[in-house]
Amino acid sequence: MSHNKVLGIGLIGAIICMYLTYLNTLLGVQYFSFFGGIAAVFALWWGTDTIKHLCSYGLGTGVPSAGMIALGSGVIAMILATKVNTFGPLVIPVLCVVIAAILGAIIGYVANNIVNMNIPVMVVSIAELCIVGAVTVLGLTAMATGTFVFTDLIAGTATFFGIPVTNYAASYLGGGAIAVVFMLGAIAVQHAFNACLGPNESQDRTLMLAAECGFISMFCVSIMSVAFLSLSAVLVSFLVSLIGWVYTYKKYFVLSKRDAFMWLDAKPIREKEEA
Amino acid sequence: MEELLFGIGISAVAGALATVSGAAEDTESDIGSQGDPNSQVQLAPQMGYIHRIYSKAISGEPPAYGLWCTLGAGLAWALMAINYNPVLAIVLGSAIAVFVQGVYATTAYLGRTASLAKFEQPVYIDLIKSVTTVTMAHAFIAIFTCVSMCFLMVNALGHPFPLPLLGIVWGIALGAAGSATGNPFYGKERQYQSQKFGAGVPISASGNIVRYAEAGQRSSLDNGWFTSKMGGPASGVCFGLIVFLELWRTIFFESFAAGWGAVVAGIVLIIIFMIIDRMVEKWARKTYGPYTEEKEATA
Amino acid sequence: MSAIKAGGGSEGMKPVAVVVGIILLILALGVVYYLSPGVAFMGLLGVVIGGLLIGFGVHFVPVGGAPAAMGQSPGIATGVTMLAAGAGLAGLFGGAWAAEYGLAVALAGGAIGGGLMMAITCLMVNIIYVYAMGIPAASGKVAKDPITGDTFEAYKSQGTEGHGLPFISYVGGVIGGILGGLGGTLIYLELLEVYETFLPTLLNASPDEVKALAVGLAGIFAIGMFLVNAVIAAYNITGTIEGPHDPKFKRFPRAVIGCAVASAVCGVLAIFVVLV
Repeated sequence: MSHNKVLGIGLIGAIICMYLTYLNTLLGVQYFSFFGGIAAVFALWWGTDTIKHLCSYGLGTGVPSAGMIALGSGVIAMILATKVNTFGPLVIPVLCVVIAAILGAIIGYVANNIVNMNIPVMVVSIAELCIVGAVTVLGLTAMATGTFVFTDLIAGTATFFGIPVTNYAASYLGGGAIAVVFMLGAIAVQHAFNACLGPNESQDRTLMLAAECGFISMFCVSIMSVAFLSLSAVLVSFLVSLIGWVYTYKKYFVLSKRDAFMWLDAKPIREKEEA
Repeated sequence: MEELLFGIGISAVAGALATVSGAAEDTESDIGSQGDPNSQVQLAPQMGYIHRIYSKAISGEPPAYGLWCTLGAGLAWALMAINYNPVLAIVLGSAIAVFVQGVYATTAYLGRTASLAKFEQPVYIDLIKSVTTVTMAHAFIAIFTCVSMCFLMVNALGHPFPLPLLGIVWGIALGAAGSATGNPFYGKERQYQSQKFGAGVPISASGNIVRYAEAGQRSSLDNGWFTSKMGGPASGVCFGLIVFLELWRTIFFESFAAGWGAVVAGIVLIIIFMIIDRMVEKWARKTYGPYTEEKEATA
Repeated sequence: MSAIKAGGGSEGMKPVAVVVGIILLILALGVVYYLSPGVAFMGLLGVVIGGLLIGFGVHFVPVGGAPAAMGQSPGIATGVTMLAAGAGLAGLFGGAWAAEYGLAVALAGGAIGGGLMMAITCLMVNIIYVYAMGIPAASGKVAKDPITGDTFEAYKSQGTEGHGLPFISYVGGVIGGILGGLGGTLIYLELLEVYETFLPTLLNASPDEVKALAVGLAGIFAIGMFLVNAVIAAYNITGTIEGPHDPKFKRFPRAVIGCAVASAVCGVLAIFVVLV
């Protein structure tokens, strides 16, 4: 699959899924939160291919740093996008992509031209990675809280003597829960390529692992969402992520078996015959 | 006075938890061959040395532990938000984080090994069953102690950061301390056990890692007892000292000179460690001596 | 741990790129000054200085990467980004705790926290090398330690580029930790100040109520910016460096400018959260 095709599927899929979470607000329920997680899966799937593209030039610092810069800049773009409310909440997902693209392009320019990395795809790749980071955080945030609007992300309630009062410390941003999503994304975006690195790396296996990383992150976020969502909505998210994870994990084993030189169970070291 | 004693006591507990955490972290990463020594596990088949060593290539240790500890802390935070008992919440959070660690470990071993098919390195699927579980057990100790320590910092010492943010901060620091201290011991002393003691591995020997044990073949599980001889405890002492001294200097000296007391105490500590380091370095030069005849320094 | 060989990272600077970078920096500062010349502008200035300190500090941290784990090259055997992040965030922990004592004490506390973390870690690295592996420290890049005057050529074991942490690298590590902790704390404190000023009016709540929210936002932004700056600096030194005596150290002006520009842009976005 060409990189542009992966980019197209990933970006469009992620944005559509982000809008599907808005059904929560339209219908006044919380069951559609899991679409945020699916958006993150799409983004991570695309980001893995971008990292592969970028790292084929050799960065000198290993693959994980690319994940760190992606999420480090992505989370900044994402929080700003959720805050902008002049155009209504429906603009947020697109705005998130636009802000992240600008921020990523500037950081890419800094890395490529000022720091003098001289890698032809650097600016585009870092811009893509920044979008991936921002959309991943936005998606998992929507999954954890059921919404992607800033005022809801900072709203938390605590009960004092049976009376619910506003307590920002119990909110998604005030309680630091975004840190979990941040780290989940930072590892998930680079793990698939980092783990499958080697001369026999194949795209379908790497991308399957990318989806698996996305679903395991969804799984964690679905458990964390007990703090914000009703139990039935949590259960829906939990089941969706569990099914997705089991499917991709099994599929990944099958693909690894296909690519492996041999698949041995409790056998001794098979010494190479001297040529 | 009582408040001060309480603070010092909590610092001591946090330091003790950090020590356990650091030791378990390094043991876990050595059993799984995570971090820098992983490059040699990867390199060996390319040089023609097929092995049965685990290859847990989940980024470096600092980001990986950043994730496990943040995840443990975040899940514990979420469970406490719906009024779970803190102890139960921390145990459950750490358990789920360990599950995620195990999943990442298996995919990393499969991915790296399958991608080495060109060099005829087979996937030994029994390793996934035997080694992954052991690394998960050590990882649980590391995560649980680290998250408990963060919980004490928030709830007993009143640090302003919420629990998940402290998870990131101390998770990354834990991985950094553990990998910095423990990696050379595993990389040089264990993987290249057959090379000369008291010297670096010559670059020409790269990839020729030890693959056979006293009897039979080396399993990554044996790295556990080897690490516990020095690398693990040293990593534990390293992380424990970092956490304890950081808390102790703040709690004990912060009341002096409007906060400057803690800064001065920190500077004094840094200078003490610097002097010890210089003594260690001089001792090594004097005792071990140069490898070759010392020439007149020209440069 | 890099399985891919270093490719990029040439010497020299591109004047055009630097000028474009500085224009972006001034633009960012100008926009914020136009919208809010008081607290927000000072905040952004602090963020830029903080990012610059982080970028500069990373160059001091002696990191050997994978070969260091085999005693094949000097330095600490881990990734430069994350070691710097470990020290910087440990400093941030101390600085955030001391915030109530005022800016100067908190900054000093953050710097010392980072320095202490590196001082202990570097000491333990040398203890492992000396007492567990029997290897004395030797630098591969210079013949003589600039501080102690120790010669290294004879203390390098055969077939390696040196090993362990010579005293100059140790001092470099401590300075790197201090600068990283200082920069991270500065970013955090400046953003905290901005949020604590603007959030109460924005949310119509008392300053005490929004305290937790301001801490949470400033904390996650500080961590994000720290990582961005550390990665840019790591790209600049292409993975490994021995410390301030390494020839690669001379590349630092590029990273300092780069980090300043990147922090300015990130800082503008972070401050816009309360301005728009």
